[in-house]
Amino acid sequence: MSEFSNSLSVISSALQAQSQRLRHLSENIANADTPGYRRKTISFHTAMSGAETPGVVETGRVRLDQSDLSQIYDPTHPMADETGNYDGSNVNLMIELSDAREAQRSYEANLRMFEQTRQMGRSLFDLLRR
Amino acid sequence: MFDKIEVFKMAHAMARHAGSRHAVVAQNMANSDTPGYKAQDIADFQTHLAQTTAQPGRGFDMRATRAAHLNMSQTAGNPAGTPAVFDREGAIADPNGNTVSLETEMVHGVNAKRQHDRAMAIYQSSMTILRSSIGRR
Repeated sequence: MSEFSNSLSVISSALQAQSQRLRHLSENIANADTPGYRRKTISFHTAMSGAETPGVVETGRVRLDQSDLSQIYDPTHPMADETGNYDGSNVNLMIELSDAREAQRSYEANLRMFEQTRQMGRSLFDLLRR
Repeated sequence: MFDKIEVFKMAHAMARHAGSRHAVVAQNMANSDTPGYKAQDIADFQTHLAQTTAQPGRGFDMRATRAAHLNMSQTAGNPAGTPAVFDREGAIADPNGNTVSLETEMVHGVNAKRQHDRAMAIYQSSMTILRSSIGRR
């Protein structure tokens, strides 16, 4: 049974990590038109020996993408400099959307795994029933 | 009392092995987006059984309780312990160094579940035989 509870905690850590990733992605998408916004990224890593259950997924710090901000030409904009440009965000909607799709796919796969583990545990309990 | 019966031992070992394998697959699945993570696996039940029963004293030779008994060839084994975890071979790495393929893990997960179901079915039917032998239906 401890194997099952181990898998369940590993899977739930993955679900948590993926949903956190999805949250930052939606923040990025929501702020795609905010001037000066830098897209947020988080990193995943595996917790090995120190954690309660080895193999759980942990999320690292939120980092801001330091790539160049897009320049938008609009001389009437209050933030425009003398050349008529202002800083947009460095969010690329295409990247965010495909990343979101990937996160969703991983989330679903983990959910299936959770269901499978639960079924195995239930069949174990069925032995006691008659 | 029942743990002395071979078929229960075997079913127990099989279910435990399926559980460990499923845990490894779950870990792979959970880390499918972790950069640099290497997909892991454990030996399948057949290999594990062959390895552990090959050790002296582990094999299930028929027990000779008298000197006159013939020592029959071994029939079944009692695989003890969990098999060692190793990195899965032949996996192709993503650009970020991750070697987990969700499809492969799915298949392995289903296999582990089927093995577990099989072990449970064996246990259950042996239980039925045992029950009928003590006069209950």
